[in-house]
Amino acid sequence: MPEPILRVKALKKRFGGLLALSDVSFSVAEGEIYGVIGPNGAGKTTLFSCLVGSLPPTSGSIRFRGREIAGLPNHAVVKRGLVRTHQIVRPFRDMTVEANVSIGAHFGAGKRRGADARGRVAAILERTGLGARAGSLAMALPIGDLKRLEIARALATEPAVLCLDEVMGGLNPSEIVAAMSLIRAIRDSGLTVLMIEHHVHAVAGVTDRMLVLNFGEMIAEGVPRDVLQHPEVVTAYLGDDAGAA
Amino acid sequence: MQDIAGVLVNSVISAALYATMAYGLAVIYGVMRIINLAHAGLMMLGAYATFSLFTRFGLDPFLSLLVVGPLFFLFGVVLYRLVVRRLPRSGATPSMESLLLLFGVWLVLQNFAYFIWTGDTQSILTAYTMKSVAVLGVRVGVPSLFVFAGSVLSLVFLNVVLKTTYLGKAIRAVTQNRDAALLAGVDADSISAVAFGLGTAFAGVAGGMLSTLYAFTPDFGRSFLLKAFCIIVLGGMESVTGVAAGALVLAFLENGLSAWTTLPTSFQDAVSFTLLFVTLVAFPQGLPGLFARLRTAFR
Repeated sequence: MPEPILRVKALKKRFGGLLALSDVSFSVAEGEIYGVIGPNGAGKTTLFSCLVGSLPPTSGSIRFRGREIAGLPNHAVVKRGLVRTHQIVRPFRDMTVEANVSIGAHFGAGKRRGADARGRVAAILERTGLGARAGSLAMALPIGDLKRLEIARALATEPAVLCLDEVMGGLNPSEIVAAMSLIRAIRDSGLTVLMIEHHVHAVAGVTDRMLVLNFGEMIAEGVPRDVLQHPEVVTAYLGDDAGAA
Repeated sequence: MQDIAGVLVNSVISAALYATMAYGLAVIYGVMRIINLAHAGLMMLGAYATFSLFTRFGLDPFLSLLVVGPLFFLFGVVLYRLVVRRLPRSGATPSMESLLLLFGVWLVLQNFAYFIWTGDTQSILTAYTMKSVAVLGVRVGVPSLFVFAGSVLSLVFLNVVLKTTYLGKAIRAVTQNRDAALLAGVDADSISAVAFGLGTAFAGVAGGMLSTLYAFTPDFGRSFLLKAFCIIVLGGMESVTGVAAGALVLAFLENGLSAWTTLPTSFQDAVSFTLLFVTLVAFPQGLPGLFARLRTAFR
């Protein structure tokens, strides 16, 4: 079996008295779409923050492409090819869509400059369906386009692994279908995708394997069909009463 | 009574210098969301550095800006790396820690200057200090014209860096959204160091230019810091045109009041203080907020 592109071992994150992540371990294979689900406050976003270095983990190991990255700062992790998006979008509001994406192209893993960067940015805008919006200011975009911009900027950093934090939150059913096909297209272009989602069935429809977190602990991992039938997962999502009934 | 041309010419000349002072603060605030209270101390140090280069090596005060600028840039980077970066990350508004720390840096700089240069009042006298030329029919001191040229060059330099270089793009990215910049791979810590260096260099250059117009002691700079605050409150921290507009308003009020009223010159600092006070009470959003309100009122 080849070395997984991302291997997390015994990852712990403590905020004062609160153990936000306890002993989380999993591996993601190259080219996989891997989902992370769990109720609110389960530690999903904390997990992503630790992976990309915006929060230092309390203990544990994160190996990415065979090298330890736990504790590296965010921008250094991005330059090695691991990038995330945020559930609450973070655009450069006073820049155009094109300029937003070009920041990723200049300062990400690709470090592209000049015409090379412009070509790359144009291709990404086309692929994410933002081509017609290239010249608009980010602050003028509707939420659906902002979510796409968040993904476009992350793609412009030329990652090997893309971590998506609730990209489907707030989207309507037809937008969810479009988002799912975009995620598959991203995988088919050679990337590995990690995704956090609240919308369980949207994740189940697109992921190869998934992990369930509850109160910072892993309660199940595997292919979606098995995971969703796991009794602890049912309890975590629907509550004890539903489980007993 | 002085004519309007005189007031306008003098206002534009002072405004350029004021904008240079205010930009140093604005760059640092934009990238780090901290207010550099040590700015006044750095301007004072810039004045003394220019003074020392002039008395020791006979270097013209305006040529010495080419030395003072880069030197203060390095000093700012070192100050950031040793002291400022240890501050806890401030959120949307400057933290109390950052204000106290930089106030402390100011005190240290002041006492350092007392130690090296004593408390005696110093000034720089060159061959052209007392000369003046006519500009649009108005007599203007030669040093003031050089200060104007130096300020415009500094501001053009900063604008070119921000608008056309990759470094400038990174600075703008961190200013607009630090988290997003990190996500896109920008090393925000290094950018902060560069921004602090730039802000310090602007303070040094502004101080060097002030030393050709005014006498100074280690306490020098306080009233100019107040002017810079006033400009920033008026014009906002984010936009180039805002800072320029704020500088013009303040300079015009100061020059106009001294030309057309019997207000004594010693009251000049009261102008910026009053303007700051009125702005904060009447339209705390500054000029951009005032314009936005006027637009809605007249629609």
